[in-house]
Amino acid sequence: MGHEELFAQLKQAIIDQDEDAVLSSVNTALDAGVEPKTIIDQGLLPGLNVIGEQFECEDIFLPELMQAALAFQAAMSVLEPKIKESGNEGPKKGKIVLGTVKGDLHSIGKNILKLLYETSGFDVWDLGIDVDLFKFIDKAKEVDADVIAISALLTTTLVGQRDVIEALKDQGTRDRYKIIIGGGATTQVWADTIGADGWAGTAYEAVNLTTKLVS
Amino acid sequence: MIRMGFAELLTPHEVRRTHEASLEVLEAVGIAAHNPRAREVFKKHGCSVDSETGVVRFPAEIVETYRAMAPPSFTFRGRDPKFDRTIPDDGPIVVTGSSAPNVVDPVTGVERRATSADIATIAHLINELPGFDVFSISTLADDAPDGQFSLSRFYPALKNCLKPVRSNTPNMADLRQVIELGELIAGGADAYRERPVINHHYCPMVSPLTMDVDSTEAVLWLTERGLPVYTTVVPNAGLTAPMTMMGCLVVGNAEFLAITTFQQMIKEATPVIYASLPTVADMRTGAYTPGAIETGMLLAAQAQLARFYDVPAGGYIGLTNAHSSDAQSGFETGMNTVLGVTAGATLLNMGGLFSSLMAFDFAKCVIDNEIALMDKRVWRGLEFSEDNLALAEIAAVGPGGSYMGRQHTKARMKTTAVLPRLADRSMRGQWEEAGRPDIHSRALAEARRILAQPNPAVWDGALDATIRARFPGIVAGDALPLDAPQV
Repeated sequence: MGHEELFAQLKQAIIDQDEDAVLSSVNTALDAGVEPKTIIDQGLLPGLNVIGEQFECEDIFLPELMQAALAFQAAMSVLEPKIKESGNEGPKKGKIVLGTVKGDLHSIGKNILKLLYETSGFDVWDLGIDVDLFKFIDKAKEVDADVIAISALLTTTLVGQRDVIEALKDQGTRDRYKIIIGGGATTQVWADTIGADGWAGTAYEAVNLTTKLVS
Repeated sequence: MIRMGFAELLTPHEVRRTHEASLEVLEAVGIAAHNPRAREVFKKHGCSVDSETGVVRFPAEIVETYRAMAPPSFTFRGRDPKFDRTIPDDGPIVVTGSSAPNVVDPVTGVERRATSADIATIAHLINELPGFDVFSISTLADDAPDGQFSLSRFYPALKNCLKPVRSNTPNMADLRQVIELGELIAGGADAYRERPVINHHYCPMVSPLTMDVDSTEAVLWLTERGLPVYTTVVPNAGLTAPMTMMGCLVVGNAEFLAITTFQQMIKEATPVIYASLPTVADMRTGAYTPGAIETGMLLAAQAQLARFYDVPAGGYIGLTNAHSSDAQSGFETGMNTVLGVTAGATLLNMGGLFSSLMAFDFAKCVIDNEIALMDKRVWRGLEFSEDNLALAEIAAVGPGGSYMGRQHTKARMKTTAVLPRLADRSMRGQWEEAGRPDIHSRALAEARRILAQPNPAVWDGALDATIRARFPGIVAGDALPLDAPQV
C-alpha cells in the first residue's frame, strides 16, 4: 500500500469514528515505516478536520464527534510515546489548566472539553471537580499555563469563577493567563461581568476560542 | 379536580417494572456518596459501603422498607398561614423558577446581573399574582455583602412576600444564618420549630447516581431537625442518563429512591416530594433542553411513579429555552405544564425564567401567572353534577333563545371560565388601534400596575430593626417600582 493510500485510510477511519480501524491503520502505517508525526499530520488530523466541519453543519451530532475524538486519542496513546522516544516533539498549541469550581460536582461538559482540547493539540491539566480556587492558581503557576478554563453548572457556584479571577488580581498575576469560563450556569454577560477573557457555550466553541486566544 | 383519571403514559405493569429496575440499579450499581456522614447513615441502616470508592449499594428490602415510610403529603408554610399549601390536596401549586443569576432589566430590556432589590421587587409581584402559591427565590443577589450570600436572597424575599418562600443555600454557614433569620421572624426558636416559614430545597443527587457533599449535608442537618426540606433529581438523557426515555426514568427513579431512603433513615416519616427536572439533551450540540416536550413526558411518568409510592409529585416543568416572550416561550411553558397537570403533578416549578433558568423576566412572570391559572382550571375539570347539566335552564330558554341575559348565566359568568388579563380577545381593528400591543408589553404593563401599589406584605418596622441589628450591613431588601433604576 502506498503512503497516500494509507493516509486516506487513516483519514477515513477517523471520519467513520471507528477506533479499531484507526488503530489497525496506525499500526499498518508504522509497519510501513511512516513517521508517527506524519501519520498524525497527513492522516488523522485531516480526518478530524472533516469531522469538525460535519459537526458544525449538523451532519454529525455530539456523540459522533466524541467517538471520533476518542478514536484519535487511542491513536495518540500509541504514537505519542514513539514521538517522545525520537525526540521530535513539536510544540504544543498551549497549556491549559481545567476544572469545575468549588462546591460543584458536575464533570461531563468539562470532560468533553478535555477530550477536545487534547485532540486539538493542547496540553491539559485536569484538576477535576469541586476545585478550590487556589488549586487553579497554584497549578497554573506550576506548569506555566497559558489558559485557565473554569467550569460551573450551578448558578449558586458560579461565583467561584469570579473568585479565581479576583484572587489572581490580588496576587498581581491576572495578566499572566487567559481565563475562559463555561458550563451550564454561565453566559457571555457573566464572563464580561467578572472580566474573563472569553466564554463558550459548547466544548467545541471553547476549543476554537482558546485557539484564537493563544495564537 | 380532574375526574376522568390522570393521563398515564405507563401501564401498571410498566410502573412496577420501572420500580424493580430502579431497585436493581441501586443494588448492583449503587450510588457514589461523597459526604462521609451520609455514608455512615447508609452503613448504619443496612447498606453496604465501599470505604475506598464511597459507593453505597442498597439491598432491595432496605429501600422498600424505608421508602414506604415517606408520608403522602408535603406542606409549604408562608408568613401568613392563609397561604400555607399542602400537596397533593391543595394542588396543583405553582412555584416560581429559581436561582437565575440574571434578570432582564424591565426598563432597558437588557439582561444584567440580578440584585437583592430585584428579589424584593419580584417577591412583591409574586405576593400579588394569584396564580403563584410559592415564591422560590427567582434570582441570586449580585450585591450580597461578604458572608451574606444567602441572607441577601432570603431577607428581601421573606420581607416582601406572605406566601411560602423556598430556596437553597450553598453551605452550612449560610444555612444556619438563614434559619436564624427565620427564628427572628417567627419570634424565637421554639415558635420557628412550630411554624418553620422557610421551605428548603436542594439537589444533593448529581446524575448519574452520585450524592454531593454540601447539599447532602444540608439535607441531613435539616432532616435531623424535622425542618421542611425536599430534593429534586435531574437526569439528562444522553449525558447523565441513557438515551432512552425509560433509561432516563430509571436513573432518576433510582436517585429519588436513594435520597428518599436516606431521609427516612435519618428520620422516619419525613415528608418528601418526588420532584424532578428530567431532560433529553439535544444531541446535535449537547444543549440543555428543559423546555422540550420530553421533559413534560418524563415528569408525567414520574407523577405516575409517585402515585405508586404514594408521595406527592412535581418539579421543574414549563421552563423554556426561549430568550424572550415569544411563541416558543409560550408553547414550551403551556404544553409541558398541561401535560404535568393532566398526569397528576401537583407541584409546578414554572414561573418567570428565560434561557433555561438563566434569567428572570418580569413580563414572563406575569404571563406564567396566567398560564398557571389556566393549568389550575384544567385541574378543576368540568365539574359534573346534575345541577351543572342545567336542564331546567335549557328548558326555560328553549330552542332559539339566548342565555346571555339570564340570572343563571350571571351567577356563573365569573367562575366557569378563566378570565385572562393578558390573552387578547379583542377584534383585530381594536388591536390595531391600540398600537398592536404584543403579549410582552401587555404583561410588563400589568407588572408595572401591580408594583406601583404599596406592598401590604412588608413586615413592621420593629421586626425589621431587630433583623438589621442582628445582621449588620444587610441589604435594604425593599421592592422598587419597575421604572426606578434597579441597580
